[in-house]
Amino acid sequence: MNETGQRPVEPIVGEPDSELDSAGRITTLALASLMAFAVIGYFVGLADGVPQPSGIDSEPLLKGTHHPAKADSKVVAAVTYSEISNVPMGPSVAWQAIPKSLPKSAHEVQPYDLFAEIKPSESDKEKSNFVRASRRAFNGAPPVIPHTVENTNDAACYSCHSNGMRMEGLKASVMSHGFLANCLQCHAPPPPKPFEKIDSSVRSRFVGLQAPKAGERAFPGAPPTIPHSQWMRENCHACHGGPNGWAGMESSHPWRTNCTQCHAPSATLDQAIPAQGLSMLPPIENSTRE
Amino acid sequence: MMDVQRRALLKVAAMAAAGSAVSLGNPFPNLPVLGADDLPETDKLSWKKAPCRFCGTGCHVQVGVENGRVVAIAGDKAADVNKGLLCVKGYHVGGILYGEDRLTHPLLKRDGRYVQIGWDEAIEIVAQRIFKSPATFAFYGSGQWTIPEGYAAQKFMKGGLGSNHIDPNARLCMASAVTGFLATYGVDEPAGCYADLDECNVLIAWGNNPAEMHPVLFSRFTDRRARGENVRLIDIGTRRTRTTDAANDYLEMKPHGDVAIALGIMHLLIENGNYDKDFVQKHCAFRGAEATTPTLQGEAISESEFRKRIAKYTPELVEELSGVPADQIRMLGDLFGNRNLRITSLWCMGMNQHTMGTAVNSLVHGVHLLSGHFGRPGDAPTSLTGQPSACGTVREVGTLVHALPGGLLVVKPEHRAKSEELWNLPSGRINPTPGYHTLQMFEKFCTPTNEGGDIDTLFVQVTNPGQSLPNLSKLIDGKVGLEDKFLIVSEIYPTATTQLADLILPAALWVEKNGMYGNSERRTQQWFKMVDPPGEARDDCWMTIAIAHRLFELGHDGMKDKDGNFLFAVKDDAGNEVPIWEYEHYYDINVDKHLFEEYRKFSVIKHKNLAPYDEYVNARGLRWPVVEQPDGSWRETMFRFAEFDDPFVEKGKGFDFYHSTSGDGRAQIWFHDYAPPPEVPDEEFPMWLCTGRVLEHWHTGTMTRRLSPLNRAMPTAYVEMNPDDAKAANVRQGEVVVIESRRGSTELAVWINGRGRPPRGTVFVPFFDETKLINHCTLEAHDPFSKQPDYKKCAVRVRKLSKVTQ
Repeated sequence: MNETGQRPVEPIVGEPDSELDSAGRITTLALASLMAFAVIGYFVGLADGVPQPSGIDSEPLLKGTHHPAKADSKVVAAVTYSEISNVPMGPSVAWQAIPKSLPKSAHEVQPYDLFAEIKPSESDKEKSNFVRASRRAFNGAPPVIPHTVENTNDAACYSCHSNGMRMEGLKASVMSHGFLANCLQCHAPPPPKPFEKIDSSVRSRFVGLQAPKAGERAFPGAPPTIPHSQWMRENCHACHGGPNGWAGMESSHPWRTNCTQCHAPSATLDQAIPAQGLSMLPPIENSTRE
Repeated sequence: MMDVQRRALLKVAAMAAAGSAVSLGNPFPNLPVLGADDLPETDKLSWKKAPCRFCGTGCHVQVGVENGRVVAIAGDKAADVNKGLLCVKGYHVGGILYGEDRLTHPLLKRDGRYVQIGWDEAIEIVAQRIFKSPATFAFYGSGQWTIPEGYAAQKFMKGGLGSNHIDPNARLCMASAVTGFLATYGVDEPAGCYADLDECNVLIAWGNNPAEMHPVLFSRFTDRRARGENVRLIDIGTRRTRTTDAANDYLEMKPHGDVAIALGIMHLLIENGNYDKDFVQKHCAFRGAEATTPTLQGEAISESEFRKRIAKYTPELVEELSGVPADQIRMLGDLFGNRNLRITSLWCMGMNQHTMGTAVNSLVHGVHLLSGHFGRPGDAPTSLTGQPSACGTVREVGTLVHALPGGLLVVKPEHRAKSEELWNLPSGRINPTPGYHTLQMFEKFCTPTNEGGDIDTLFVQVTNPGQSLPNLSKLIDGKVGLEDKFLIVSEIYPTATTQLADLILPAALWVEKNGMYGNSERRTQQWFKMVDPPGEARDDCWMTIAIAHRLFELGHDGMKDKDGNFLFAVKDDAGNEVPIWEYEHYYDINVDKHLFEEYRKFSVIKHKNLAPYDEYVNARGLRWPVVEQPDGSWRETMFRFAEFDDPFVEKGKGFDFYHSTSGDGRAQIWFHDYAPPPEVPDEEFPMWLCTGRVLEHWHTGTMTRRLSPLNRAMPTAYVEMNPDDAKAANVRQGEVVVIESRRGSTELAVWINGRGRPPRGTVFVPFFDETKLINHCTLEAHDPFSKQPDYKKCAVRVRKLSKVTQ
């Protein structure tokens, strides 16, 4: 893939062998083209963009006479009302098997231990920094969404990003701020599916603020200051701790929860003290009209 | 210290690194990646306040500046509008300064090619053309003009040239809101403010998609749900949008259905007797259009006459006209009939870009007045604007063909006299006849001179009519080949408009200059210049003053006041004139402050009082009227016309509409009959076309199309189609089709059920994409009062590329 995210076209036919005579070459080319056409034709046929029945509504869901489902089938067996209290409900066995069949993540193999000794690695930190920077126009910008978004419902985002999760090499970051509605207001999604291939690159000389590498220490061993703003990053553990934080940025003491007790934030970065007093308004409850 | 060169190198290295990241499986490498090896330089970073450059919400941002460049943006926590939050455009607003193709030199078209010229020559060319024929010169401005820029242009045209041919692009976006306010209250701009969003129980979006267009305001409301509050969102629209996703009720209407719905609610309030009789009796009057020549004034009608007229708009008839089921109209009627609720209405282009724009704006105000859902926090009819200073620069400064600053009108002799007095002009300088409004201006410009096209020099500042006008084939393309017509465009990037320009002037942008904006809730905001503009780019305000001064030198009498002084003369504290027309001296003094202090005198005439400039320096904007208190402080006003907050309402009165058109302190509840849209789908053109915006791009995309995170999210315009329509037309997802109307056509990729989900028979196209101009298809039919065209409905057909037209 090139910089714009498009796959370079693979040549279907390689360089013709110089030892082949021209007739043989033509035959090879003709055959290859034929095969290529056939293959392309097949896939074009398959990928016809006209909305097609997806298969699920092309045939009735319930066929023939009703018969009780087997215990291991995908269907939860219907029971009478009187039996409900004795029947285990919830995800069917087949459904439960789906996540189980996925390869286990590191934390599932070895559960997260809050009190394990942590030695943040510099190379991990560099890697994490790199990935984080690749999703932001500047440090402090809301990261863009690195995966496709089909559902614009906030609950869909929240289901993975509230506490974060890891699955098969993928990591859903923990939200560093409290719940805010309308996630896509700030986090730009990737291009819509039908326009994925369109070159969206821009020519810009904008150079964004870099992520700070570390806070300042008054003396060796002193707790470092917080080098970035805390605004929208109120949840320190989103990045610096827990099983779903960023590798290399972990706190060595994740069990401590009152971070700013020791690590001083920056009043400037946090816009903590307005430069000038702000004009005040009377409370709006003064309405006399009911 | 990190210099610019090193940063550029870093970026190159980063891009290379990003490229290599692809092979590691990161499929989204478009953002510039910053080297992780460098230590933070946060100590050199300084943060300053500015309003966001984009929409009319008026969020404040904190701009991070390092080594003379904008490097970061943060939401301003001290800002009352956005309370520290921004939208995806706002977070990336800093990047708009740095597109590689910024215009940096004046460019003159010579023999079909552009050649770089100096500013002196550029100003000379413009001044000479105006000097030769001031009456055929027109100025086309913008709701993105800063207040001082608009004020300078206004004074230059109306006070200097004695010409009223000055109109802004806001004509295309909020003119109907203005006429709606004028018809109802006799004075422009909303009575409520954004605090209504914090207080209302019910929010009604009338043909409005705030989830994408005003996201910060939208989530200010929807975040209340997350806090456990019980609030109800009702979405009345012609297609499903992200706003619908969050709505409790979705009322799908036919185009123009909003008129019928408002009439239906009023009918039910009268029918059920649950309107606010006390409020209506004390503070309202009824009004209808004149039978012969309707005006914005209308004529008074009695309550019984109003009852008689509204009687036919039963829920059943409204269902027929609007497509919204009668029981849902009754639901709305019951909501408005319940005085215990607080109801806020929001609207923007849906009701404004409407051939009945004035009517539907007045009717929705009427629904709120009749039901008494007015004047309590949370009870408000609130019109939103799309541009950062459509209110501040266009509506308040009055940069429209008929207006003077502070809500004054050119047709009124006493208003002209007052303006001449404040501008120190000889009496009779201001022309009493309104000039050419936007559509006329471009029509006259694109018509050959010998066929009555009596505008031959057009100066466009801060806007892109080559993309945003309706019916482009007629209103812009007509210019091509007319040798005596001269188009001057002040721009930051090449656009669809600069393509046609004879002279291109490179402009300074946003925090490259001082500025002031006025947002949708009457909030006036100020910022200071933070970085230098690139190359030879200069302030729009300076351009106007420099042209004016050149005319002054040439001996144009209009550029002199009564005493023979230059119209824009600025003196320093020692009383010496500062030559602000020379760019080297433009920032010797704060020109914005001088212009604003002069303009401020107009604001008190119609109770739109503004505070001194320095008050805005310290605030995150102040909502007018801002009135001085006995202790010398300045107090802003959140709720107008209501005694509890508006200082101009006499104590004990409760309410006072002190600019009432009936002269008795009453607001007008209008009746307008429903009329069908000017063009409806037929056999030949069977689909409705609606145009609009998407969250990531702002208006014609000049700025947002140069921001990586935004353009990545929405790299192209598209045509949104209903799956059944796509199936019927045999078109596939992503297939390029031709959208054509009676006026023109454009090619677009199909997005079945795209960002929004249109009902059958409707397509939607965003207008941001300069390579796919949907405005070749749109209609220039417009509202009779506001002259605002209807971009939201016309008839088109979708044709497969392979199919030849008959």
